Amino acid sequence: MTTLVRDLMRRGLVTCAKETRLGEAAALLTQHRVHALVVVDEAGMPTGLLSDFDLLAGEWLSADAESLAAMRRMTAGELMSSPLNTVDGSQPIRAAAELMRSQGFHRLIVSEGGALAGVISMSDFVAHLAAQEPLERATVGDVMSSVVLVCREETPALEVARGLTDSRFRSVVVLDFAGRLQGVISGRDLLACVDGQDCAAMTAGQIMHPASTIQRTATLRQAAQQMIEHHLHRLVVVEADLSHGLPLGIISTYDIVNEMARPGSVWRSSAP
Amino acid sequence: MGRAYTDIDFASYNRQAKRVSELLARLGYLENREIFVVTEGTRAIFENGSSRFHLDVFYERLDFCHVIPWNGRLEADEPTIPLAEMLLEKMQIVQINEKDVIDTIMLLLEHPLGTEDRETINIDRVASLCGSDWGLWRTVTMNLDKVLHLAQGYPQLEPENKARVAEQVQLARARLEAEPKSMGWRLRARVGDRVKWYKDVDEVH
Repeated sequence: MTTLVRDLMRRGLVTCAKETRLGEAAALLTQHRVHALVVVDEAGMPTGLLSDFDLLAGEWLSADAESLAAMRRMTAGELMSSPLNTVDGSQPIRAAAELMRSQGFHRLIVSEGGALAGVISMSDFVAHLAAQEPLERATVGDVMSSVVLVCREETPALEVARGLTDSRFRSVVVLDFAGRLQGVISGRDLLACVDGQDCAAMTAGQIMHPASTIQRTATLRQAAQQMIEHHLHRLVVVEADLSHGLPLGIISTYDIVNEMARPGSVWRSSAP
Repeated sequence: MGRAYTDIDFASYNRQAKRVSELLARLGYLENREIFVVTEGTRAIFENGSSRFHLDVFYERLDFCHVIPWNGRLEADEPTIPLAEMLLEKMQIVQINEKDVIDTIMLLLEHPLGTEDRETINIDRVASLCGSDWGLWRTVTMNLDKVLHLAQGYPQLEPENKARVAEQVQLARARLEAEPKSMGWRLRARVGDRVKWYKDVDEVH
């Protein structure tokens, strides 16, 4: 039986008004544990999407006090991407996966009967795979996740999908027999399986992508810049002189947005 | 042309810095080592004690309002930097002056746009750099528009020359628009002019 988008989607949309400031938007993302907000206009009509990746612009461009002030004045309506990327709930998930792969989308807004009904994102696909049988402000070190999910290169891809879903992690770091960093697997890499490749025969080493690394002493701004310039959602944190050694942790877009959302952060303070 | 030359700009790679210093020392030039250290090896200044002639060497990149990396491009033409980089050298200046505008007009009149180097302005190279850096795109397109506008007001230019400059600028603008843009470019474009998109030249000297 063909699995449809509406079978995997999460129903309901987390929205914010166009006038919402970036710090408030970051707080909404963490409060609802989502990676994007649908931005609505005065009439409540959806007009665009604001993702955690978009919010990285706050850290990336706040090189001085003047820029920080300008970014703090920015609103969701100004930073959002539009139009919304949508898929009909009656479409097969394979069509949605192909659309996401070919266009580089991380999520699609699902419509049903002409109305927006929910979201389907890469983590929904990963969970679906896992169910198959049997197959200067803060620094990077301050906010990174020190607990990392790891696997060996020969680990079956389906085991990786299952591990991601069971642990609620969003990535797996792939190591060789000596514990040396080889690559990273995220939901995007597993989309290839949804899109028709034989996942049962594939290993972590075959589907991983090269890891981008950053040192723990780097600033959040440097991390945000690296993520934006190379279009990455996570970086592996390593020791200064051991770029291929056992990772210290992972920093993701979510970690940076979480820091922006923290009460008392420069993004939440009411001071000018 | 009536110009008195007092300095020359050179471009080189960092790996050649030692040999450049040795060559210029043999020619009687003294290096200001402080500049090389302060700029982290990206720039060197030499002076000839007797003639007071002044040489600037830019290693790896030109780093003024925006960064123009050499990245293996110094082999694309000789003895100067390629025409694409020459155009970018002028077009990356936010506070562009009339001399730079005139130099750009001459460059556009003398050389066609194309996809190769040597006697052609490699517009693919310009588009590629502008497609990954919104700030550079913003300044370059702003200055191309200035060149187009100012060229129409120079009485020294024949009508066909003014038309040629306009055609070249429009071709360049169209190529820059057609270039695929990176995710970072698109995100930066949404922020736009709210945040300064260039470095003040004083900051880099």
